[in-house]
Amino acid sequence: MKTLIAGLSLAIAGTLFPTSDAKARDLLVTVARPDNLYVIDAESRSVIKDCTLGAEHASPGVMVMSPDGKIAYMLLDRWQNVVGVNIETCERVFFARQSEDKVVRRSIASITVSKDGSRLYTVRNPVRMHADHYEVMEPELAVFDTAAGLEAKPLAIHPAPRRSTVMATDDAGKVYIAGHDVYAVDPDTGEFTVAIANANWDRPTYSPPDVLAFWPIGTQNDEFMLLYSAAVFTDEKQEEMADFVWGYESVDLSTGETEIKDFTSFEVIMFSAVRNPNAENELYGVYTQLSKHDVETGELVKRVDLPHTYYVINISSDGKEVYIGGTNDDIGVYDTATLERIGEIRLPSGGDMSVGTLQIVQTE
Amino acid sequence: MKPLNQKADRVLKAAAEDKMDEVRAMQTVTAGCATTFDPGWEVDPFGSVAALCQPMEADLYGCSDPCWWPAQVPDIMVTHPDWDANATNAARDWRALGTVFPGDSNT
Repeated sequence: MKTLIAGLSLAIAGTLFPTSDAKARDLLVTVARPDNLYVIDAESRSVIKDCTLGAEHASPGVMVMSPDGKIAYMLLDRWQNVVGVNIETCERVFFARQSEDKVVRRSIASITVSKDGSRLYTVRNPVRMHADHYEVMEPELAVFDTAAGLEAKPLAIHPAPRRSTVMATDDAGKVYIAGHDVYAVDPDTGEFTVAIANANWDRPTYSPPDVLAFWPIGTQNDEFMLLYSAAVFTDEKQEEMADFVWGYESVDLSTGETEIKDFTSFEVIMFSAVRNPNAENELYGVYTQLSKHDVETGELVKRVDLPHTYYVINISSDGKEVYIGGTNDDIGVYDTATLERIGEIRLPSGGDMSVGTLQIVQTE
Repeated sequence: MKPLNQKADRVLKAAAEDKMDEVRAMQTVTAGCATTFDPGWEVDPFGSVAALCQPMEADLYGCSDPCWWPAQVPDIMVTHPDWDANATNAARDWRALGTVFPGDSNT
């Protein structure tokens, strides 16, 4: 039965999560066509788990990890279904079919898990399919119990803002949603507040920001960080442009504190970025170039051209390597000190990762 | 009479299925693509093409999976879900990606 497939095609020695005093290591986790979840040992650059997902389609492969690093929760089947897979056993442990009958519900990268691992949240965009037209319904925040198994239904549904993308949760239990603004939500009551004004920011000499937010990747620095670009004008008349800048807006997921800051002029495109968990002034952004910025000084430390465009970036726990993925079937490894390409991982299926997420977990 | 477009065809089917009470005279909303719809970049933010994704095959499914540029790439989220069925790697398998027509649409 397709939905119950939990394949394992690569054998490994030992387990991913040893109970002994084995040295902690980073594992990369990603999704690729046609139907694969990959777990990769970062140090050896080797694929150690190749799980068959049993999905109708691997797209989009937007993924968040459970806080213990053991369950990969993914949006699959063309943004409709939520699938949870144990990355050690490849077993499917969670499944929520969000669409029903004539109502299609897609979550456009909107998925996150609470810090205690007990709740999973999505923002869904329901559309009722009538005989000759579509009826666009109100978006909704759905709350799931992660222990609900393979026929999970929402515990609660709250109204949500339209045009939501990535999400995150903080230590206090708040849910953050990137939309026109960055919203903070109490998942118990459904009450929304604005955590960071984005489209509605109060910066009279700035244009509205442009934000691309498809990759829920800030876990290594425990932050919900989005890049923005914006025009900066010489005065509030906004007639003469002084600069076009990159900046970041971030929620500290330990404290809930927020920050918004320009850090460089717009010279190249960046699709996603991470900060070094051991040196928060270092920001690494990726697209067709890999760039290293010092966000404290505004300095572009270094920039290198890449073999092809990559969408998504993540960083090792020691901050010494960044990994770039998405798009094609290879993950590039770069030294954060030199931005030299020091490794590469080819996915065995040869399938594209497209907009899939590249997550990192530790084995202990 | 023969229907000239998909909407008219749907109306005929609705009549046959006794669902005319659902029919609206004009389709005023869109779905699926409306969530992420981007009209497409003919050029990059600098007015050229060098800053578009390189090569374009690296970006192909990144544009079709989220229905990002529906005018340039078939929408495999909603209307043409099988377009990529024989091409798991866009750079290698692009020859298997065919042309789509309205009649192929899933909606």
